[in-house]
Amino acid sequence: MTEHRRTDTRHAEAPAGQAREHSLRIERLNFAYGDTPILRGIDLHVREGEFLALLGPSGSGKSTLLRLIAGLESPTAGRLDASGRPVSGPGTDRAVVFQHYALFPWMTVVDNVAEAVAKAHPRLPRSERRARALKQLERVGLGEVGGNHPFELSGGMQQRAAIARALALESPFLLMDEPFGALDPINRAKLQDLLIEVWQGSTPRRTVVFVTHDVDEALLLADRIAVMGATPGRIIAEHSVPFARPRQRAALFKDAGFHRLREEIAEALDADTLAHLEAA
Amino acid sequence: MTAPHKALALQAEAPPSTPPAGLLRRWLAAFAWEPWALAAILLVAWQIAGNALAGEGNPLLPPPAVVFRALWDSLPELWRGTISSFLILLPGYGTALALGVALGLLSGTTPWLARAFFPFARVAAPIPPTVFIPYAIAVLPTFHLSATFVVFLGAFWPIFMNAASGAQAVEGRHRDNARVLGFSHFEYLYKVVFPASLPHIFAGMAVGLGFSFILLTVAELFGANAGLGRFVQYYADFADYPRMVAGILYTGAVTWAAMTLLDKLRHRALFWLR
Repeated sequence: MTEHRRTDTRHAEAPAGQAREHSLRIERLNFAYGDTPILRGIDLHVREGEFLALLGPSGSGKSTLLRLIAGLESPTAGRLDASGRPVSGPGTDRAVVFQHYALFPWMTVVDNVAEAVAKAHPRLPRSERRARALKQLERVGLGEVGGNHPFELSGGMQQRAAIARALALESPFLLMDEPFGALDPINRAKLQDLLIEVWQGSTPRRTVVFVTHDVDEALLLADRIAVMGATPGRIIAEHSVPFARPRQRAALFKDAGFHRLREEIAEALDADTLAHLEAA
Repeated sequence: MTAPHKALALQAEAPPSTPPAGLLRRWLAAFAWEPWALAAILLVAWQIAGNALAGEGNPLLPPPAVVFRALWDSLPELWRGTISSFLILLPGYGTALALGVALGLLSGTTPWLARAFFPFARVAAPIPPTVFIPYAIAVLPTFHLSATFVVFLGAFWPIFMNAASGAQAVEGRHRDNARVLGFSHFEYLYKVVFPASLPHIFAGMAVGLGFSFILLTVAELFGANAGLGRFVQYYADFADYPRMVAGILYTGAVTWAAMTLLDKLRHRALFWLR
């Protein structure tokens, strides 16, 4: 059942003089549930500090790939290295934000975040942990509701808190599984801006893997997009996103290059879907 | 701050501003008259049946007034009986609660413990614990110890079974979060599995408490020299029906009070489910 292995490879714990490069290397990775292949032949390299979007339709295994990187599942074959070491289970070097605001409902919001602070700084006294957790909440605009329980917060606010908790781990990797998929368009836009703001505002920059099925979201946020196709899941295309940061949503939507890239990706996705319909 | 934050903060700080008159009206609106009507009907029926069955001297079904008189007169004795009964109930139930929750949560999260315990539990749990009473009284050195043991047996299985199924039903997202946050197995048990299983645990506690009262009073019929069950048994020997019925009513009230207390506790502990 549940295993709780920890692989600590946070910034602070790298031995002096041989700082690790926090990149992801995935080679010829396969994954199957029993006899059903889910992912086949995944090759992917994410550089340190890079923002990679995994874009694909449902059934393309993009969430499964993220769970493999998080260490929540084990690959059937192939190689999966984080910071140069094989991933053998979940670790606090890889923070995860799930689609369904996964705060613990029986803890206050600040206690939820303080759990992550406690992992980043195990020797900190309780009061200091809470103070730092509160600071993280202020960073995402939730300074006033720390004492509330998650059920008292809206979906958008809960997802902000989940992001604060992930940031509080102070991990070099940030893995996000359709984190804004359940939000209304206004909240989604707000949280996209917030995410980019905190990602750009921290040094060193975190290596981000962001799962989405929304082409616009991928183009707005990512440095690079890996497009996935379905049955079994595999990477069908990779695109660099050339637009300069900070990106303005309004300006981007007027850019001809944006629309060209958007068409290209949408066509690749359609072609893959069509090929499957014809095969079936 | 955005509007929802302010609304939330205001809501938390606002004092209860309902005027007393409004409170009364709301209480009246929520008032359920049906149970009181049924109680009145039952009392009248009891009085009529009591009169009809009244023979020479000792009535088999004493009328309400006589019973309540007996109840009033017996209150000091019943109170001493309550204390004696709770000195058996609390240690037995408390031990069952502690062991049932601990072993239940461990078995629900540890595959080899589950394999060891569950087949055993399926055979042992359905044995009516009442059949252990004569044996426990014969084998254990004191009545107090044997009654406590039997109460423990009655409460343990429902609490254990419910805690185990609660632990097995912990949502995948909570397990995933505990894992990516680097929780140790012990942290996972007491910060995630325990609170997540509380709805199941409280269900088991309610069933276990019911069993505890049954076993307690049955055990007291066998060999106690004090206690609630003993009170009823003692006056049976004198054919003092008013006191017997008073004892039954009193035991009902005590059981109801314990159940209500547990329900209030559950409501408080599970605030996050509302």
